[in-house]
Amino acid sequence: MKKFFALLILCTSVQLFAQQGTLTGNVIDGDFNDALAFANVFVKDASIGTTSDFEGGYTLELDEGTYTIVYSFVGYQTKEVSEVKIVAGQELRIDVTLNPSAGQLDEIIIKTTARKNSESAVLSFQKNSVNLLDGLSLESIKKTGASNIAAAVKNVPGVSIQGGKFVYVRGLGDRYTKSTLNGMDIPGLDPDRNTLQLDLFPTKILENIVVVKSATADQPADFTGGVVDIVTRSIPSSAEYSVNLGVAYNPDFHFNSNYLTQDRSATDVLGFDNGLRNNPIPDAQEIPFPQQNGEVVSILTRRFEENLAAQRETSLMDVNFSATAGNRYDIGDNSLGFFASLAYRNETSYFDEYIDGQIYRKDETDKSNFDLLLDRGQNGEVGNNNVLVSGLIGLTFKSEKSKYSFNALHIQNGETQSSIFRQVNGIISSNEVKKDNLIYTQRSVSNASITGLHTLLEDGNLELEWKFSPSFATIYDKDFRVTPFRVITDDITGEESFVIEPSESGDAGRFWRDLEEYTLPGRVDLSLDHKLFGFDAESKIGAAYTLKHRTFDVVRYSFPFLNFQSSVLNGNPDLLLLDQNIYDPETNSGVYVRRDSGDSDSFESEMIITAGYVSESFKLKNWMRLVLGVRFEKFDLTYTGERQDGSSFRNAKILDKSDFFPSANLIFDLNEDESSKIRASYSRTTARPSFKEASLAEIFDPISSNTFIGNLDLQPTYIDNFDLRYELYGAEGDFIAFSGFYKSFDDPIELSFIRRAYGQFTPLNLGDAQVIGGEFELRKRLDFIRGLENIRLVANVSIIDSKQEYSDDEREGRLDNLREGETLDDTRQLQGQSPYLLNAGFTFDSEKSTWQGGIFYNVQGKTLQIVGAGDIADVYTLPFHNVKLNLSKTFGNKQNSTLSLSFDNLLDDDIESVYQSFGTEDQLYSKWNPGQRISLGYSINF
Amino acid sequence: MRKLFLPFMAIAATLFITGCSSDDDTVIPVDPDPDPVNNVLTGNIAADMTLTSDVIWELSGRVAVTSGTTLTIEPGTIIKALPGTGANASALIIARGAKIEANGTAASPIIFTSIADNIQLGQTAGSNLNENDRGLWGGLIVLGNARASLSGDATENQIEGIPASDTNGLYGGNDDADDSGTLNYISIRHGGALIGEGNEINGLTLGAVGNGTTISNIEVVANVDDGVEWFGGSVNCSNIVVWAQGDDGLDIDEAYSGTITNSAVILGNISDHALEIDGPAGSLEGKFTIDKLTIIGNLNTEGGEYADYRDNAMGTTKNVLALNFKSDSDVELDNNAVAQNFLDGDLVFENWILDRDNPNQVFLEGTADGEVQIIVNPDFPTRAANWTATGNNGGADLNVFSWTFTSLKGGL
Repeated sequence: MKKFFALLILCTSVQLFAQQGTLTGNVIDGDFNDALAFANVFVKDASIGTTSDFEGGYTLELDEGTYTIVYSFVGYQTKEVSEVKIVAGQELRIDVTLNPSAGQLDEIIIKTTARKNSESAVLSFQKNSVNLLDGLSLESIKKTGASNIAAAVKNVPGVSIQGGKFVYVRGLGDRYTKSTLNGMDIPGLDPDRNTLQLDLFPTKILENIVVVKSATADQPADFTGGVVDIVTRSIPSSAEYSVNLGVAYNPDFHFNSNYLTQDRSATDVLGFDNGLRNNPIPDAQEIPFPQQNGEVVSILTRRFEENLAAQRETSLMDVNFSATAGNRYDIGDNSLGFFASLAYRNETSYFDEYIDGQIYRKDETDKSNFDLLLDRGQNGEVGNNNVLVSGLIGLTFKSEKSKYSFNALHIQNGETQSSIFRQVNGIISSNEVKKDNLIYTQRSVSNASITGLHTLLEDGNLELEWKFSPSFATIYDKDFRVTPFRVITDDITGEESFVIEPSESGDAGRFWRDLEEYTLPGRVDLSLDHKLFGFDAESKIGAAYTLKHRTFDVVRYSFPFLNFQSSVLNGNPDLLLLDQNIYDPETNSGVYVRRDSGDSDSFESEMIITAGYVSESFKLKNWMRLVLGVRFEKFDLTYTGERQDGSSFRNAKILDKSDFFPSANLIFDLNEDESSKIRASYSRTTARPSFKEASLAEIFDPISSNTFIGNLDLQPTYIDNFDLRYELYGAEGDFIAFSGFYKSFDDPIELSFIRRAYGQFTPLNLGDAQVIGGEFELRKRLDFIRGLENIRLVANVSIIDSKQEYSDDEREGRLDNLREGETLDDTRQLQGQSPYLLNAGFTFDSEKSTWQGGIFYNVQGKTLQIVGAGDIADVYTLPFHNVKLNLSKTFGNKQNSTLSLSFDNLLDDDIESVYQSFGTEDQLYSKWNPGQRISLGYSINF
Repeated sequence: MRKLFLPFMAIAATLFITGCSSDDDTVIPVDPDPDPVNNVLTGNIAADMTLTSDVIWELSGRVAVTSGTTLTIEPGTIIKALPGTGANASALIIARGAKIEANGTAASPIIFTSIADNIQLGQTAGSNLNENDRGLWGGLIVLGNARASLSGDATENQIEGIPASDTNGLYGGNDDADDSGTLNYISIRHGGALIGEGNEINGLTLGAVGNGTTISNIEVVANVDDGVEWFGGSVNCSNIVVWAQGDDGLDIDEAYSGTITNSAVILGNISDHALEIDGPAGSLEGKFTIDKLTIIGNLNTEGGEYADYRDNAMGTTKNVLALNFKSDSDVELDNNAVAQNFLDGDLVFENWILDRDNPNQVFLEGTADGEVQIIVNPDFPTRAANWTATGNNGGADLNVFSWTFTSLKGGL
């Protein structure tokens, strides 16, 4: 190890003292979006040159100066790039796409300048891909100032984010959108969702984000809206180190003495709990009633931490820190590179008026009453602290014909939430309740992946790639604490008194919820370049295996009391578990612990997906490429769990499905340089029930008071997808695209309410659904207007219409509750689908890129958030108009320091969801103000 | 270089360290059950079965007698339920189409209690539990095929407290004469489970039980939630006593249309209403009759009202004696819909005797948000003078409860 570091330091110093600059980049085969190996790269009129490696990569060390670089390969057009300015100690990146010369005998030379060739690597990947996809490069993410992937990815056309965390592509969420890490499955981090929580991934680990919207045979079949692939940083071509520091201030949130918090452990600041919040009672412990064994229950009750109240404190501001290091070393003909990053983020928020989870009902007995009746009003204060620590290490070893990569990633997240809510109940119960809620959630993802890429034949036409990428993820909800007091207001004095009254407000309770999931995905792909119908063609064949294993456990306790006057607590939850109030066998009075959870709250489940595919990419005409493929997937789901009535399954096979998934992608080039294309594609894909859905689980959620009931009869959904897109790639990164898509779903799964059982939900295969939509994207430099040469307009719009048929229970529940004069449509929109999404902004890039900035507007249309059930109306999320301004300045003698400033939520808009019902005004489901945030960041590269 | 790596390694290493275990989380052995029993009821009972009185039976988890099956319980039988709370509470369900023949006697009642109760065979009460020991198990649930007025005019519904995945929890049908068997001289003690808002297991839950069923001489003591709750149905009940419940004594919903004769509710120190009466949830209407009722209040409880008539309630409450309530306790009509039922003669009060002056003043007309009182000229309290009187005699014949735990422990 020591030797290794010594070597690294030696190499680094050599690099640092060189008086040369570096030219690096990739040569891309315009036909396949593939590396063009062994292409010639040389300085015009000089004898300096190199050839691209099997991955298309090249590096040239050049003295300071301006050059013209020539890229050529037999059978391909030659490209000359002029005005290449090399600065000592700096790296310049130029990616070049070469197109086949298509049988023409004359040598064709395409001349361009470095500036005009500045099209981003992502855009050129997009252009040459056989899939229909949209990408987002690290550079454009930087321009938006997004600090995590969830914030960044919503700039991709057709992508929306729910709750700041979960990604929806083309209005399709959860089960229809897949998130992958470097093309491989990773565990989801929410017990109720299929997709990944993207806000956990800092942009520091990113190379780019790619959103694939049309399927090819080499992609997994279980996506419909899109695959969001998180591509982690690749190895730099030369030494690269950076340190970043940032702070952010929100006047509503920070340095506020009303901020709410809870007792913290010493390691909370590192994103994990050191054991303070551990469950103090082992599973094997029998908890007797005080009437059975008062001494034991008294001792057990004393084991619990006393803190149940949200505590006031002055909040701090947001801080973040990150450091990256990367380098590449030549070892003979081989090279070794590494990249490492460490990032830390600590964010605090406080809402003094947070309305959430209100319930309004329609009048069940009087259909002529259009008013929504308040059943539960809920308003409170919330303090939130979120710590995120991430580390990434990547190592790559490259020989002449092989490349091996090893990547390790760990993300650690701890979230503390402390709140005090007032709840006013009107219909089901009639009372007022004060609740202190203390919540801590600790999440982690660890991933280690190893990849190999080999060129097998002499001419490099056969390529073998393999990947193995195990992950382990945990979510520990540690010690969720709720203490409800019934509030009794004296009619005359207005004075409030507080009692714990179980049949009105419930008992004080706390719970622990553990979710652990590991995934073991692996894949092997072979691709062969050959000739077909006189054109270049590529055959691909591959196999993949993914195992996902999840365990879910819940432990719940409540704290009832015997012969005890709860009014002595005076509404202070922290007094409940004081020694003098805990059950005393002598007096047979006090508070004691009771275990409320059972076996049916827990389950264990495993999915195995075995897949194989073949595909052929070929040309029928010079201007027409066809990619045909078929994928086979076998899906097995096994389940272990128990129901409340005692029936149980032990490793029982719930689903065993084998299916073929055909796909066809057609690409028409409309002109010589392939800058204008039409793409058409068809694919069949699937959406499978999640772990929890295809289960026997009967899980009561103490937060929502709802019961989730698994459904063992669920079947996968099958979807036919049709896409059509026109693309125009202009110079210098200009881009225009129009897309249309249509998707038809057989038996889609949705969570449905059970009409005969209030507050209980189960997933069902519903009637068919359709989604139809259009997208428009524009990236255009405004250089045709004098004075605006450095400004670019970036805009995209998506319009999506979805139609979902009702389940029988839902239809009847809706019919029962129609108001007079109201009619029921045959379908409704899909849950979580926005009818429109809009992103628009201007980016600014000064002459020498020392000033950069942008102003961005993002909005998503009114979205069905909660599907109404019976007398409860539908809840819609209203549009949140977010305007954001971002500005950065590069300075220093090597232009290696950057200062950036950004303003969030310039319009100071509220985040709001409402109940909507026929003939009446909207009523609030939730509402809060995220405040306005100013962030300042400094980064230095060396 | 090294400097960059070292802190990284250090922090990465700490990230993987999970919290160390504290040494006070060891298992403490709990004394083995001092009163071992060898007859355990568990899962579904799908073949006719008799519980004999020569052993103590143990109820483990949710036990359902399924359709077509009869469970017979001999007089003097004691059933002790294992602990379990919330959704996992031990409970005995008599499903639709099943029957319970539990015919106790005053000398040998059938007793449902908790495993924590030290009651022995041959006894009618243990010595270690009193009326404040609540929530130690679930309750007894009887479901039938009679009509219930359900939301959206559905013909069946899932009973509270049982997840929809267990179809033994369904109640409701079209047979008002349905026969679920016999409950006679039954004492249900120390039970009740709260699962969520409006989702609980009561002492005795009667879901759409038909009038072919015999229910008499029933006692519910120290239940966490309601004593007895009727969800629709037509069964007639007599001689019911509820003592020290956590919520309401007698709770009527979904257009129960039977008659409850000679009953008593004695509030404890955390009880809420003696009566909570709701109306139909669908278009089917049905009227209850409560005849001969004694309700005894409690001066310590925070709630402790006489009665609440809510949600379109319809029926008759007559021959009532109410003693020892707080001075501010009331009989409330919840909103205009209920008040209109009163004006229309669908909600009737007759012969209420209260141990206070101006007994008519406890009758209040409440209103929902935005409503104004509609019982005017004369108003509701003035009209209540027609059926109220001050006194200490009337209501139920309490002598029929001499067999109960309530009587034995001085509740009456």
